[in-house]
Amino acid sequence: MTLSEVTNIAGTAGNFQVTVKEAPRYVDVDKCIACGACTEKCPKKVDSEYNAGTGKRKAIYVKYAQAVPLKYQIDPEACIWLKKPGACGFCQTVCDAGAINFNDTEKIHEINVGAVVLAPGFEAFDPKEAKVWGYGVQPNVITAMQLERYLSASGPSEGHLVRPSDHKAVNKVAFLQCVGSRDENLCGNGYCSSVCCMYAIKEAVIAKDHVPGLSATIFYMDMRTHGKEFERYLERAKTDSGVRFVRCRVNGVETDGNTNDLRIRYINEQGRQVEEFFDMVVLSVGLQTPKHVLALAETAGIQMTVDKFAATSDFAPVQTSREGIFTCGAFAGPKDIPQSVVEGSAAAAAVADLLAPARHQLSTAATFPTEKDITNDEPRVGVFICHCGSNIASVVDVAKVEEYAATLPHVTYVERNLFSCSQDTQDMIVKRIQEQNLNRIVIAACTPRTHEPLFRETLKAAGLNEYLVEMANIRNHNSWVHTKDPAHATAKAKDLVRMAAAKVTFCTALKPISVPITQKGLVIGGGVAGLTAALNLAEQGFEVHLVERTNTLGGNALFLKHTWSGEHIPTQVKKLIEKVLANDKVIVHMESEISKVEGFVGNFETTIKNKEGLTRVIAHGIGIVATGAGIMTPHEYCYQTSKRVVTALEFDRLHELKEKHVHSARNYVFIQCVGSREGDAMYCSKVCCTHSVQSAIEVKEEDPTRNVYILYRDMRTYGQREKLYRQARQMGIIFINYELHGKPQVIDKGDKMEVMVHDHILHRPLKIEADIVILATAIRPRLDAKDLANLFKVPVDGDGFFLEAHAKLRPVDFSTDGMFVAGLAHYPKPVEESVAQALAASARAATLLSKDEVSLDAIKATVDPEFCDGCALCLDVCPFNAITLVTREVDGKVGKMINVNKAKCKGCGLCQGTCPKRGVYVGGFTMQQISSQIEAALAV
Amino acid sequence: MLDNKKVGSVMIVGGGVTGMQSALDLADSGYYVYLVEKSGAIGGAMAQLDKTFPTNDCSM
Amino acid sequence: MSFEPKIIAFCCNWCSYAAADLAGISRMQYPHNVRIIRVMCSGMVHPELVMDALGQGADGVMVLG
Repeated sequence: MTLSEVTNIAGTAGNFQVTVKEAPRYVDVDKCIACGACTEKCPKKVDSEYNAGTGKRKAIYVKYAQAVPLKYQIDPEACIWLKKPGACGFCQTVCDAGAINFNDTEKIHEINVGAVVLAPGFEAFDPKEAKVWGYGVQPNVITAMQLERYLSASGPSEGHLVRPSDHKAVNKVAFLQCVGSRDENLCGNGYCSSVCCMYAIKEAVIAKDHVPGLSATIFYMDMRTHGKEFERYLERAKTDSGVRFVRCRVNGVETDGNTNDLRIRYINEQGRQVEEFFDMVVLSVGLQTPKHVLALAETAGIQMTVDKFAATSDFAPVQTSREGIFTCGAFAGPKDIPQSVVEGSAAAAAVADLLAPARHQLSTAATFPTEKDITNDEPRVGVFICHCGSNIASVVDVAKVEEYAATLPHVTYVERNLFSCSQDTQDMIVKRIQEQNLNRIVIAACTPRTHEPLFRETLKAAGLNEYLVEMANIRNHNSWVHTKDPAHATAKAKDLVRMAAAKVTFCTALKPISVPITQKGLVIGGGVAGLTAALNLAEQGFEVHLVERTNTLGGNALFLKHTWSGEHIPTQVKKLIEKVLANDKVIVHMESEISKVEGFVGNFETTIKNKEGLTRVIAHGIGIVATGAGIMTPHEYCYQTSKRVVTALEFDRLHELKEKHVHSARNYVFIQCVGSREGDAMYCSKVCCTHSVQSAIEVKEEDPTRNVYILYRDMRTYGQREKLYRQARQMGIIFINYELHGKPQVIDKGDKMEVMVHDHILHRPLKIEADIVILATAIRPRLDAKDLANLFKVPVDGDGFFLEAHAKLRPVDFSTDGMFVAGLAHYPKPVEESVAQALAASARAATLLSKDEVSLDAIKATVDPEFCDGCALCLDVCPFNAITLVTREVDGKVGKMINVNKAKCKGCGLCQGTCPKRGVYVGGFTMQQISSQIEAALAV
Repeated sequence: MLDNKKVGSVMIVGGGVTGMQSALDLADSGYYVYLVEKSGAIGGAMAQLDKTFPTNDCSM
Repeated sequence: MSFEPKIIAFCCNWCSYAAADLAGISRMQYPHNVRIIRVMCSGMVHPELVMDALGQGADGVMVLG
């Protein structure tokens, strides 16, 4: 439902009545075929929201070229006709599909649902009102979102970086960080937006790729690259791309007058006032909750934080204050794409927990007639040629193509349609297949990438195997790209139809493979992530085996006291463990380890071995790896030799026990990044800045006369944690920045520790006499992670953390189907992110476990036993390890042959491309089929 | 039984990358999903980004 | 008559074929001589197929992926 807003939510968890107001689109989505004729004729231009005001759009428009649904809409604020009926109406005249409806009206829908998930997102801070750094006055001061559009090939300048003032190429660009973030005076947003450091680096790197010789400088306070692989990206930006990073506060951005160049004044790291000129200044704007979302929060009746984000608990990060209403994404605090995707899945898990009894109540499976066996029938090809309104027909002479198609071998029926994809044409095609007894279909229309699934359904509805259709792409690859050459376009359309008809003749019925699913889960690791995932799966109704190596549940959380927002961790972990132990669907295996794994998605058989050496085989459909991480032992800062130097976790313990030398200390020095962000450990441990700041606040609160120092490289109190950093500074905790090349020196003086560090504000070395030195030590991956990874055939990254299938869009899935990852095993993270990831893993797992069987695409490699001689060349090239070598006996002789595991095969056909003997083929793309296309292409 | 009153459908407000992921997971695990989006098309802010978007389909 | 080469392009469904679709959406104009064959991965294209195309008179073969 697009153009829709929620105006009321009545009822309670499990049974809500939601009122949705749908604004008129003025375009009938069932008729619109997105040809674009209306937009071309529309005389009214306004700023494009999609291009963040850098380009224009028309009053009738589609949001962006790849929009879903790809349907046009009329902006009532801009449309001439809607303002003054009868005044324009060009779009209505040119629309062949008759989709324009100026009389469209607002609709109110009352919808009954069991749960509501709020994922309304964020808006970028608008610096216009406060005229931040001259934005809105200086034409060459733009926001990062605008730069994103300038850099995009689909943007206003097609990816050429030009200045808005004079369209001159940009040679020198500056990024100013923290605009609309970490700033209570100018914008009122005290929090850190979490994502701007990373996007600024990315934009700087890409801009430098676009413009050879471009100089890019990022002016910042702290570089917050705390996510997975972010630190490396930062280092590469510095060393490989040559992006310049300047830590400073900028004093002013002024124009040079007539050239529109921009002068930036700042104080450099040597303490000197510097002036520098730039062609363009990019403001790294922060994220905030838009007004209409605040209104939505009020409608939903949920609590918000002071930073105006949805309030949640760290142990239930997607649950709002109102039961049955969930939240995810940037609405619950500023966050990046992977974390948003994780929370999207996590919210799904929370909903599934609530609505477990009602699963499958309203969803239905489509039914189709029994498939006709055509194996022994002569091919009877039906060709359907689409006009696509005027998209194809205005360029290609479709009547000639129709005439020609009828002459092709095996073609028994040809027809033209105005829109082959419309519902009435679909019904008609079904009818024709049946009455003409067609057994192969060619659709000459648009791209199979978007429309093949639709036509496959049509074949199924007609009782034909869905793989007996081939599309000839005479729109995207022809009429749209040879607009001015109708003669050649018509000839090419004939070729494309001939190629498709040739290929479809060799199409055979392919059977989608179904694999039954064992509806049980296996969770490895009994820490917070593992416990959460296991409990959620169990509450969704699935049996779960939880395997823990030690004799205690709780994992690393047992060492922690408070989450960043102050929730008491031991209490929450205790509750979690109790719930898990009380749930009879969770079977806990203590002091056990995985020793052997067999099978694949839906059908794993894993052997676990306990302390006594007894083994047990568990059958399960999915697996979740939540094996956690370890802590490094420092070898620097006198840790090994002095008891006055402790790690952060040791300090917590000693502090809680009021141990004398901790309790009576006067001077506390925290040293950050011990073992993180250097050498082989080029990653940020993410939690230590917040942890140290929290500990420092506690120490200072107990006795404000104590001196507390935090020596840091970049203070990474990201998101709403920034408030702790602010509080710490207000309390008088002293923060001293150091660089990697000037690490602090710790010297043991017996009754005191002497800490030497270079002070960047005073520009001189500083000596601190410390009673206790607390080291913020790095989180390390488990050393044996690799062994487990090998057993489950899942990858680990260079640092030793488990590697997800896609850094952005599949953050909890492994590339191996049916395997998921959560918690510290994936990357260092705080409790609420572990919980969210565990819930997400559970939701992703439930998408498989809720089914009786998995249906896989039928485009798979198949062995031809007649030709395969077991040379095994394909084994090495298969990226999915789907091929194995087996022994066989032919005429009494023992030989080798390959075997393809269809569940693992993705149909890429590398085996087919490698095989010297045609011993393996991919259905739907056989050598014969491709050869027939080549032959047909070159026949005329 | 209280459980009998529970409705097997969910409304998701917001058609950005987060809302879409939630919608897909719920639909794939047996729930009827209403995806409500304020603008004319789903995709959200991620669709505006230039280079993080690895493919042009938005997984719907 | 001027020379009109015939070019066969093997395009991977996930990248170059999608790119050719996008070229259409963006109405980019290019010469009509190319005939695209969709494959599930450019690695699927057997060397024999390239020889096949050249042998049957193609003036050029592109494997895009």
